[in-house]
Order: sequence, then structure tokens, then C-alpha cells
Amino acid sequence: MDENETGPAPDATGDAPRERVSARWLPIASVVGAVGVVAAAVLRPGGAPPAAPSAGSPGAAPHVPPPAQPAPALPQRYARTTVVVGPGKPGEFRRSLSGLALGPHDAIYALGDDEVRVFEGAGRLARTWKVPEKATCLAVASDLRVGVGSSGRVDLYSDTGVHSGGFAAGTRDKPADVTAIRLVRDEVLVADAAARVIRRYDLRGTERGVIGDKNKTGGFMLPNRSLDFDVDRSGVVHATDTGRHQVTSWTLDGTMVASFGKFGMTKPEDFVGCCNPVNVAVVPDGSIVTAEKMVARVKVYGKDRTLLALIGPENFDPMCWHIYVAVDSTGRIVTADPERRTIAVFERS
Amino acid sequence: MWPLILLVLAFASSALLAQYQRKPPDFGGTYTFPTPTHPEPRASVERALDMVMLGAGLGLGAYLILKRRTRAGVVLLSIAAIAYFGFYRKGCTCPIGAIQNVTLALVDPRYLISFGVLVFFFLPLVAALLVGRVFCGAVCPHGAVQDLVLLRPKKVPERVDRVLRWLPYVYLAVVVLFAGWGLPIVAEGGKALVGRRFLICEWDPFIGLFRITGSFHMLAIGAGFIVAGMFYGRPYCRWLCPYGALLSLCSRVAWKNVSITPDKELSCGLCAESCPYDAIHDFQADRASCVACARCYDSCPRHVKLRRGQPVALKLYRRSQAGTGVS
Amino acid sequence: MSETTTRRQFIDRTCRVIGLTALGGAAGLLARRASAHAVFQVDPVKCTACDLCRTSCVLSLSAVKAVNEFSKCGYCRLCPAYMDVTSQPDEKGIPSGKVCPQDALKRRVVGREDPDDPNNNYYEYTVDEARCTGCGKCVKACKPPAGNGSLRLEIRYDRCVGCNECGILVTCPSTAIVRVLTPGLSPTAAPGGEPHA
Repeated sequence: MDENETGPAPDATGDAPRERVSARWLPIASVVGAVGVVAAAVLRPGGAPPAAPSAGSPGAAPHVPPPAQPAPALPQRYARTTVVVGPGKPGEFRRSLSGLALGPHDAIYALGDDEVRVFEGAGRLARTWKVPEKATCLAVASDLRVGVGSSGRVDLYSDTGVHSGGFAAGTRDKPADVTAIRLVRDEVLVADAAARVIRRYDLRGTERGVIGDKNKTGGFMLPNRSLDFDVDRSGVVHATDTGRHQVTSWTLDGTMVASFGKFGMTKPEDFVGCCNPVNVAVVPDGSIVTAEKMVARVKVYGKDRTLLALIGPENFDPMCWHIYVAVDSTGRIVTADPERRTIAVFERS
Repeated sequence: MWPLILLVLAFASSALLAQYQRKPPDFGGTYTFPTPTHPEPRASVERALDMVMLGAGLGLGAYLILKRRTRAGVVLLSIAAIAYFGFYRKGCTCPIGAIQNVTLALVDPRYLISFGVLVFFFLPLVAALLVGRVFCGAVCPHGAVQDLVLLRPKKVPERVDRVLRWLPYVYLAVVVLFAGWGLPIVAEGGKALVGRRFLICEWDPFIGLFRITGSFHMLAIGAGFIVAGMFYGRPYCRWLCPYGALLSLCSRVAWKNVSITPDKELSCGLCAESCPYDAIHDFQADRASCVACARCYDSCPRHVKLRRGQPVALKLYRRSQAGTGVS
Repeated sequence: MSETTTRRQFIDRTCRVIGLTALGGAAGLLARRASAHAVFQVDPVKCTACDLCRTSCVLSLSAVKAVNEFSKCGYCRLCPAYMDVTSQPDEKGIPSGKVCPQDALKRRVVGREDPDDPNNNYYEYTVDEARCTGCGKCVKACKPPAGNGSLRLEIRYDRCVGCNECGILVTCPSTAIVRVLTPGLSPTAAPGGEPHA
């Protein structure tokens, strides 16, 4: 072959013309395809992600709606008089504060930092002793015995803190989730949040009965997994049925005798949020003190269950999951704030 | 794999809710607590497959470009690359973006880089040292998109090209700066306005195409490059791609490179006319800017193929050398 | 042996060797620190449910979804994440407004059902991921003390594209998107997460 040949070799089988043709349709097809994909990207349902990000509010404060109306004039008013235990005071709690009870002589028994601390007078730390880790609640009997509840267990102590017995609470395959405890005469009443009932035991741990299961749900409704109760002088148990926004009252043999309360975000006598009231205490004259979360406040209801007083959220930490309440013999309300780890006393003014 | 992530989540959330932990209550009836489903991220097998596909693409591309010298093969391979690395993998992680990861890993020893990203960064560079910019021609989905939409290549004036040719290096420097250190600009409120950012990922023109969704600016840039790519060959590759800057540095000293004519040069210039990227100088492929698209082979008169793939001219030439004298 | 080893070829060969050595050295240096592949995930402690997850993800329907951790959920009949507790109550006293703008939070009765009084029931809440946009309104409403905090925002890997730089990480005001390293191909896989940059 002539080396100066510039045209295609004669034996070419027409590859060159075919190559030229394909060189035309391929880019056209590609352009059409690319335009189609871009159009699909623009017109897709939902389209491009929203262009400008909305001014997010990155505040860490929880979403707490304020109560709609200012509290109307109520028959009673309470004001904080003393802070018995708090940061900087003797016996301050550094890590946790999870229980409150009042002794017969109005001594304050507080559970926190894996200890029980007894405060007498205006905050003088009188006694202290260690309790099991993750203890959740405590109670004081009229003879100064102390009962401490923890997961699946109850421990009993003498008035000086000597361990005098204990037993397992709940059943073997379902240990009790003990969230409240009371010592009534010769019985120990234990709130079992796992089974959603209150169990009655004697001092050795033999179960004597169950309170709260005689209703349509076979127990209390506890979305916040916590049950609190108190026992008044006549032996009636008043318990927080948080899922129903009620305080229900039962006799010791498990018969429901009363209930009051309903859900509401606007009226002060209603209970706010999804699961309230979270804590309850009885007053010697038959009134009931309740504590709520989400809007952290404490309310006093009279014997006829009308709202008598409201201690507002400015007194408590807004992140409180509980506010432990107790009433002493003179009618003063003692509250324990587990977020700020303070115990304060409110008196009628 | 999920146990590990759940470990992070559980540790985090339990720290928050330590005091609120309670065992779930018994609802009665026959209810059992469901566990939330957690879809797994990509398995390591799939990530290994990515690396295998990259290696296979480079190897096959080198074979098709340098040995078989066929444009049709390169086109098919680049369509396959668009399908796999583009639409299936949604363009992430790519060697272009890997520049940022490698920069960050070199600058900050706490940044743990993934093995796959390292392979994606170094393998095409090693291939470029050995066989030239095979990655650009056969594997890179961005380049493949531009290559496929090229309708009517126009030549860019030499003066303009001379300036634009420096852009990839400038962009590379900017990208490295942002990935490694960010710009310490302090805006109102005392907050650093621009910390470390992956600029390539934020301004990639074609990733909106591969994800089939994107913000307005990304889709607009993509459409712009496609339109530009219809008339000026591979605008992103030639004038912006920072990885192309690195590849061109490596391919300059490549061991094997595109040689257009199978046996000898005719100085006819048909190859230079056919090259849309102005990568042929002195009738030879310029090793730095040739992106191995394989268009020049078919324009070379010495290179017209028979169906069996051997250049006729070469065959005839060899026969003539062997003295058979067939014409 | 070729007699045409020009100077050009010599320079080329030297540069190639230097280049290969440099690349190999850098690769080796980084490979020793190379750990597993990274994925992005939301740290529920830092997350403030600010709505940016919905808009900052590169996908039009964000890969971030709300997830309900059933073991922590209260199963409340008056779920603050499901219904807007401040909205007008209907005749039964149940708030009528919904928190989720896409109505992606669904509920069904579980346990021993009371056929007479819906207020007596527990409800199981699940997120419909086809509708959820990751705006986080339900997550915010469920945070303690209002709720149990069982709802959280999570990046779902069947939707997440696995970008090199997570678009949400760039805009998140509380640095709640973290890189979590998954065990994988490298022998030096290091668990644990750390924020990018």
C-alpha cells in the first residue's frame, strides 16, 4: 500500500460512516436524557428541598405551654417561708433527691445521694444512714420506723437507721417497680408501677392484698411509669391515676370510693399535660395536696374537692418530673424539688 | 453494625433520661412491646463492591483505550459508569470529593478516614501514573455525562483557554483550604462564619442529576454545565475539576499513554480536528490534558478497523514489510 | 536495551517513581489511621428538634424521621406529641388539634381495650415514615417533662444517600449530627463517634 494514502483503506467495511452516524444520535439522546432528569428533579413531588431553612429556635427549653389564664382569686394563699435543704446548706444533696416523708414530730426525712437524711428544726441535720443504691421512695411510720423502697425490694429501718428487715416486692418473674411506700399500722403499702397496682404486705413481706386492680384497665393508667399515693387517717388510700388525670380513693380492701379531677390546660383546677398529678399528699383535715409536672405546680383541694390554693410554677424548676409533697401537723406544705434539690416549706399567708 | 449505633444513641439518651427510666408496664391483653426497626446502612460487602468496580473500570478502561483502541467500548464503559457510580451510588463518595477527606485526614489526626475513600482517592492517581487519565475517560460519571452530551464541539480561543487552564489549580487550593482549615471569618454574634466545609460536595454540578433532586442552585449549575457541555467539550473537566488537576500532574509522566496512530504519523492533522478537548499537540496526545475519550482513533486514517478489530493499515503495513506485497 | 533513553524519558521515569512512592507513602500513612466507614446519626441528647433536619437534607423528603422508642413510650391517651394539648377540646374533652403537620403519627389501641370509654385505653404510637418530614414537632412535644422523651429524630439508612458531607451537619445549630464509624473493611476499625470538623 502506498504509504501516503490518506483516505480510508479500501478494505474498510464501512465502519467509518457508521461511526459518524452514531456520533450524532448519542449526544442528542444524552442531552434529552439529561434534560429529562433535571426536569424530574425540579418537578418532583415535594420539589427541591425548601430553599431557606426556617429560623430554627434552638433553645433548649422544653415545649411548655403557659397556663392560659392567670389564676383566679382562690380562697387560700401559700407563700414560701423557708428553704430547709438546698445548695450550700448543711446536708445538701449533690446528686439526687428522690423521696420525702415527714415524721410524727414534723421532722423531715429526705432520700437522696443513696442516703436517708433526717432534718429537725429549721434544717439541722440530725441523722443520716446509707440505703441501697437506686432507692426510690421512703416512708416514716408513726413509731419512727422507716421504710425505703427500691426496684423490687422494700427495706425497713429502725428510727436510728438500723436495718431491721426487708423483703422482695412484686412477683418473682415481675419484680415491683416501687415508686411510693407507706407504713400503715402493721402493714407496708407499696406502689408497684410495673403491675400498676398498690400492694399490701405485712412486715415480713407476705402479700395481703392488692389495691387498684378493680377497674376496667386492671390497674392504674401510668404513662409516666410512676404511681404515688398517700393514706389518710381513716385508712383510705388516695392514689394518682396519672393517665386518667384523676386522684382516685380506695379502701384497703380494694374498693374504689371516690375520684376527682380531669384533664384541662386552661382551668387551674384541671390537671395539665399527658400524665398528672404526679404526686399526692393528704392533709389531716381531709384536704388533698397534688403536684403536677410540665407546669410544675402544687395545688390544694378541699374536702369537697374544690380548688383552695395554687402554688405556682415560679417556685419550682420547670424540668421537674416529680415534686414530692407532704403536709405536717400544722398544715404547712413541705415540697422537695428533685431538679434543684431543695426542700422548701410553704405556709398559709 | 446497628448495635454500635444503638450504643451511641442509647448511651446518649439514657444519660438524658437516667432518672426517668422505668420498666414498661403490663397493659394486659396480649400486647408485646415492639422494637423499633432500624434499617442498616450499606454493608461492607457493598462498599467492597464499589472498590472492585472502580478497579475493574480502570483496568477495563485501560484495556479498551490503550489496547483495543475502540471508542465504542469507551462509550459503553462510560454509560455503565454513569449507571453505577452516578445513578446507583448517587455520585457519593467520589474521588473528587475524596480530596477533601484526605486533606482533612492529613490536617487533623482525629479525623478518621474510611478505607474506601482512600482507595477512591489513590487508585485513579496511581492508574494515571501508569496509564494516563483512564479515570476521566472511562470511569468518572461527571466526565461521562459531559462527554455524552457533546453535540458540536467548538474550539475555545487560545488566550481564553490559557487563563481557564489555571482554574482547576485555584479551585483545588480553595477546596483544600476549606476542607482542612476553613476560613476564620468572624461574623456578627462572634460565631465563626465559615468553618470547615466540603465545597466540592456543596457545589458539585452533576450530583443533583444523579440524586434526581437538589436545591435550586445545584440544579441550575448542573443544567448550565450540561448546556455548556453540548458545545464546549467537558467544561468541568478541563476548567474546574480539582481532581483533574491532580490527574494531569500524574499523567504527564505516565508510563503508557494514548498513541493515536498504530504505526506512524501522517501529519494529516485529522486527529487534532476531531479532538474536542484540544488535547492533541504536534499530532500527539498531550499527556496532561488528554482525557482518553478515544475519539481520535477513529479519525486516524491509519486506524480504520475491520470487524475483528485489527487496524487494516497496520495489517497491510506488516504484510508489506513481510514481503507479500498484497495491496 | 533501547538506545533512545532520552533525557525526557529519564525525567519521566524518575517522576513516576517519586510519584508512586509519594502516593504509596501517603496512602500507607493514612491507611494505618483508616477505620471503618462513617455514617451520620443524630445525637438525641443534643438535638433540639429545630426543623432544620427537614430542610437541610439534600433529599426532597428528608432522610431524618421520628422514631418512637416503644420501651420508653407512655402509651398515653393524651399524647402531647400526637395531639396539641393546648388546642380546643372536643365534646369528650380531648384536644382536637394534631401536632404533626403531615399527620404522620398514627395510633392504635393496645392492651385490654375498654369498648365503652376511649379514655380508658392505652395507645401505641408509630410514625408513618412515608409522610414524616423530620420536622421534629412531635419530638419537641415529647421531651421531658411534658412527655417521656421516647420520640427522637433519627437518620434512616434506607433513605440516607450517605453524602460525604452531611447537609444537615453543616446547618445544625446544636452540633447534633455526629459521625459514627461502623466496623468494616479496615483492620484498624475504631468504634465510637466524633463530630466532623
